[in-house]
Amino acid sequence: MAVGGSLDTFPKLLVRNAAQFSSRPAFRHKDLGIWQTWTWTQVAEIVRAYAAGLQRLGLQRGDTIAIVGSNRPKLYWTVMAAQTLRAIPVPVYSDAVADELAYVLAHADVKFVAAQDQEQVDKVLSVSGLVPHLHKIVYDEPRGLRDYDHSRLVAIDEVIEDGRAALAADATLGGQIDDIIRQGEGSDISIILYTSGTTGASKGVMLSARGCIDAATDTVRFDRLTDNDVALAYLPLAWVGDHYLNYAQGLAAGFCMACPEGRETIEQDLREIGPTFYFAPPRVFENMLTRMMIRMEEAAGIKRRMFTYFLGIARRHGESILTGKPVPVSGRLLYALGRLMVYEPLKNALGLSRVRVAYTAGEAIGPDLFEFYRSIGLNLKQLYGQTEAFLYVTCQPDGEIYSDTVGPAAPNVDIRIAESGEVQFRSPGMFVGYFKDQAKTAETLTSDGYVKTGDAGFFDDKTGHLKIIDRAKDVGRLADGTMFAPKYLENRLKFFPNIKEAVAYGDSREFVCAILNIDPAAVANWAERNNIAYGSYQELAGNPRVYDMVAKDVAEVNRSLAEEKVMAGAQIRRFLILPKELDADDGELTRTQKVRRGFIAERYAPLVTALYNGSYEADISTEVTFEDGRKGVIAARVKIRDLQISRSTESLGKAA
Amino acid sequence: MIALGQFLEVLIGGLMSGVLYSLVALGFVLIFKASGVFNFAQGAMVLLAGLALVRSLDLLAANGFPLWAAIILGIGFAAVIMAITAWLIERLVIGPLVNQDALTLFMSTIGVTFILEGASQMIFGSDVYPLRLFPTDAWFLFESHFPGGILVNKLDVWGGFIAGILVAGLAIFFQRTKTGRALRAVADDHLAAQSVGIPISWIWFVVWLVAGLVALVAATVWGTKLGVQFSITFLALKALPVLIIGGFTSVPGAIVGGLIVGAGEKIAEVFLGPHMGGGIEYWFAYALALAVLLVRPQGLFGERIIERI
Amino acid sequence: MRAPDTNEILLQVEGVSLAFGGVKALTEVSFDIMKGEIRAIIGPNGAGKTSMLNVINGFYHPDHGAITFKGRTRARMRPFEASRGGIARTFQNVALFRGMSALDNIMAGRTLKMRRGLLWQMLRYGPALAEEIEHRHRVEEIVDFLEIEAIRKVPVARLPYGLQKRVELGRALAMEPDLLLLDEPMAGMNLEEKEDMSRFIVDVNDHYGTTIALIEHDMAVVMDLSHRVVVLDYGVKIADGTPDEVKKNQAVIDAYLGVIH
Repeated sequence: MAVGGSLDTFPKLLVRNAAQFSSRPAFRHKDLGIWQTWTWTQVAEIVRAYAAGLQRLGLQRGDTIAIVGSNRPKLYWTVMAAQTLRAIPVPVYSDAVADELAYVLAHADVKFVAAQDQEQVDKVLSVSGLVPHLHKIVYDEPRGLRDYDHSRLVAIDEVIEDGRAALAADATLGGQIDDIIRQGEGSDISIILYTSGTTGASKGVMLSARGCIDAATDTVRFDRLTDNDVALAYLPLAWVGDHYLNYAQGLAAGFCMACPEGRETIEQDLREIGPTFYFAPPRVFENMLTRMMIRMEEAAGIKRRMFTYFLGIARRHGESILTGKPVPVSGRLLYALGRLMVYEPLKNALGLSRVRVAYTAGEAIGPDLFEFYRSIGLNLKQLYGQTEAFLYVTCQPDGEIYSDTVGPAAPNVDIRIAESGEVQFRSPGMFVGYFKDQAKTAETLTSDGYVKTGDAGFFDDKTGHLKIIDRAKDVGRLADGTMFAPKYLENRLKFFPNIKEAVAYGDSREFVCAILNIDPAAVANWAERNNIAYGSYQELAGNPRVYDMVAKDVAEVNRSLAEEKVMAGAQIRRFLILPKELDADDGELTRTQKVRRGFIAERYAPLVTALYNGSYEADISTEVTFEDGRKGVIAARVKIRDLQISRSTESLGKAA
Repeated sequence: MIALGQFLEVLIGGLMSGVLYSLVALGFVLIFKASGVFNFAQGAMVLLAGLALVRSLDLLAANGFPLWAAIILGIGFAAVIMAITAWLIERLVIGPLVNQDALTLFMSTIGVTFILEGASQMIFGSDVYPLRLFPTDAWFLFESHFPGGILVNKLDVWGGFIAGILVAGLAIFFQRTKTGRALRAVADDHLAAQSVGIPISWIWFVVWLVAGLVALVAATVWGTKLGVQFSITFLALKALPVLIIGGFTSVPGAIVGGLIVGAGEKIAEVFLGPHMGGGIEYWFAYALALAVLLVRPQGLFGERIIERI
Repeated sequence: MRAPDTNEILLQVEGVSLAFGGVKALTEVSFDIMKGEIRAIIGPNGAGKTSMLNVINGFYHPDHGAITFKGRTRARMRPFEASRGGIARTFQNVALFRGMSALDNIMAGRTLKMRRGLLWQMLRYGPALAEEIEHRHRVEEIVDFLEIEAIRKVPVARLPYGLQKRVELGRALAMEPDLLLLDEPMAGMNLEEKEDMSRFIVDVNDHYGTTIALIEHDMAVVMDLSHRVVVLDYGVKIADGTPDEVKKNQAVIDAYLGVIH
């Protein structure tokens, strides 16, 4: 099969991989207790048959096909098959509720939907009335669907079989498919990813094939990824990170994408697969560390002392050893011993033994956390980006890793800081536009073709790396003019293990207040050890000793803010602990776990009022949605605490 | 002063005889593991097996059968006798008493002991019958290094060898075969085992049969050492400290316990005996067992029983 | 509730009486279980429900009366004969092999289906290996069905009660039974666990077509799940019919039901 020109579409890459990496594993999936493997040759054959089958069902160039489910080989192959036919895949978050799903399906005007299982099929059917052009639903797992009306429903396996049979029967069909692949151009839209906006409705980000592939090829080179690498695909299919890090890089480098068995087995599967490339948002790393610490505290004395001692060694020498800097021989020896006894077993238990490169992004990561993982030998780096960039805007190169920056510009990416402090960029992977929304697209691009990220940031003098402060529109001013960057404060608060989530308010107000969520695992553990009885999260959240403990953490944040000229005036004056965990299902967080400050302020208006009028308690009563969809009400009397403001050696600064 | 050569000789001798103790202990472990019954009659089973073997051997040899044929037929005959005994025990004693508590079952095995002892001697005779299946002389090893060399009994070596084969065979049986797995299932929870279709009475017959065959093996070795006679039944008493030290439910425990007891009492006798007036080897094992009970009641390899509330 | 497909009687209990000394556990109880249905056996504590299951299963032998299963009438049957005949059972107090993992426990349920003998098994080669793979495949299907992938390798003694019951159900399913006897499958479960277990029971009946007899105390569950109900009180059958019929039966209401939801 001759493929014309350079490799500027994913189908062409697949063909190349089948030729070049033919028997290397391309996909793995744990099914029925065993890891099944498909090689590149097998995948290419399956995708070709699948594309033929889809074509026979009526999928054509330019059509949109939605994909809803978790990471499964058949769903990834749906993306590939759609791209083969120059149709456009539109992945949707699998935990989207019916309304969200309906919006995306209707907006993208999909003709086809690929659903993972009965649950997703049910959701799609329930909103199918709102999707006028929906023609067929193809599904992966047949369980429970036996008795459904199959006039619009068909199993993916059947589609593939049908395609195979058709290819075998008709010699020209294969040639037709190959022609379509050949005709694919770099400017084709290879995927539309809907961003979950913290405000407003989702927008469909259109990405071009050439853009995706160029960007992926650059980072593959940057991180030296090859066909020998393995990644665990466990983050949502609909998220740009998964499409970039697993799919695009996977096709570009030829490495293996492993799909876990299910959500509950991700940890075990991670251990079993031992990926060489790993990405997780900061909270995952946090959770891993918290769990580890909890277990350590229950271990025998000797083990604990050994653990603490060697972690100290790691803290001193780990980073230097990781980046190849000089270290005294005694340090090296101790570190090697530590590796044998502590670091490697630790990484093994987390499944991270073989990881060569690990990235984190999305939220700021606590410096302690970051340094911890690096000190035990995990090459953890930060990147910064957004869907509109096809992920990477910056990434940290080996040797220049700092916990408080996101790194210099990624290869071939051009970054500048606007007058307003907003970060703007131009990159090979940048989006083509928002689907069916020319106006928004124009708003997001500057006249000279730079994308406005909407984030405020600056380049650090010492390192030349980019530092992100907050969402530009969220950066406000207090009544006295001091800069108020809520996310900056919230991140500082969340670094403490007891605080899981924080929401800061202060724009146009006299001072800064915070609504906090305690971390259930860490605080429950502390309560057990201190013999504090509680019957529910609400009770624990309201306990005065818990408040004392949290107050100390907030005071610590205030102290560190006091040392920063610009931020000193933004210390947190009052706070309260919310009796309920903030939840995406209640609309308080986005699907990517970012806080929606405006929504929360409205929902808990009585609390915000009480915070600012000096009251020491307030009553709230809110409706909540349980996991099975039922509604209930949480009512509570919430206490509010004051804090002392720290003074620094310098006087308070005002915004310039 | 303790000469190294003498020490080694005592040690090796002790270890070897320890293996022989293990052979007897194994029979106990098997039955206890599978049914929770402490089989007081194990010693009597060794006697029965030994008598059946030696008498049939003598009879066949006297009737002109060549030695090798007599041995094979004799062992076969003894095995059949043990099988019949196992079947009878399961049918008449264990089966009817299956839901009673452990103490009742234990007492029933005391009854079985008397019956077996009486019946076997009635049928096969109550003299001392020498058994000559293995050489009983000794080797002298390392004569160049130690004066007089180190005395190693050939019988003991044979005993160790046979014990090794036996343990390996049992291991394969328990881990790999369907019957072996069924045995383990029954030992774990026999309600569950029954509901999965495992016939309990058949399994118990197999357990007693295997224990009987182990008794036969023990009888061949001990019979050669002491001659097949009534006092062989007291071997059961020596097995008790072995079980306590090694753990009642562990096959490796029986081996290790046997080695510890064997070596321990021999060494104690030879090196502490002169200071304490002698006769140590009669009670040393029991003192050791007592110490273990105080410190680690489940034995070295036994399962710790943790009751969850 | 979808009605069962056929009107074929799978199990017939005829005039069964059972007494332990002076205590009459069951007196002249007769009822049938049709193929493909879910039959609930309910009644106040001590009514003889578990004894009834034990008789069907062969753990107890009735003093009078007989059980006809798949056309064969037997007065006395031993438990393993019942298992071989196609009856699988779960217990009120969960009879699992504590030392084994969840996966091994479910594998144990395949015991009766394993054909290859001693020698083949020892060598683990050829036909025995192929058979083992097939059994493992079936067991994994059950693991998938009951959604217990994450606890496959965990020793059952460490599992919470609700999951242990699910594993026990898995073991019973591994036997591919014609008749599944469930003794209080929801005992000790919270609402969410009960809903899960109900869903599994219905799915088993739906997907595998297994006939199910279950003892249960939770009225709402019984009314929802079962096709027909038998009510026992002091060892005597006092009602027999659909859930609606039984709900309205005065004798039943008098016996113990205060309010049925």
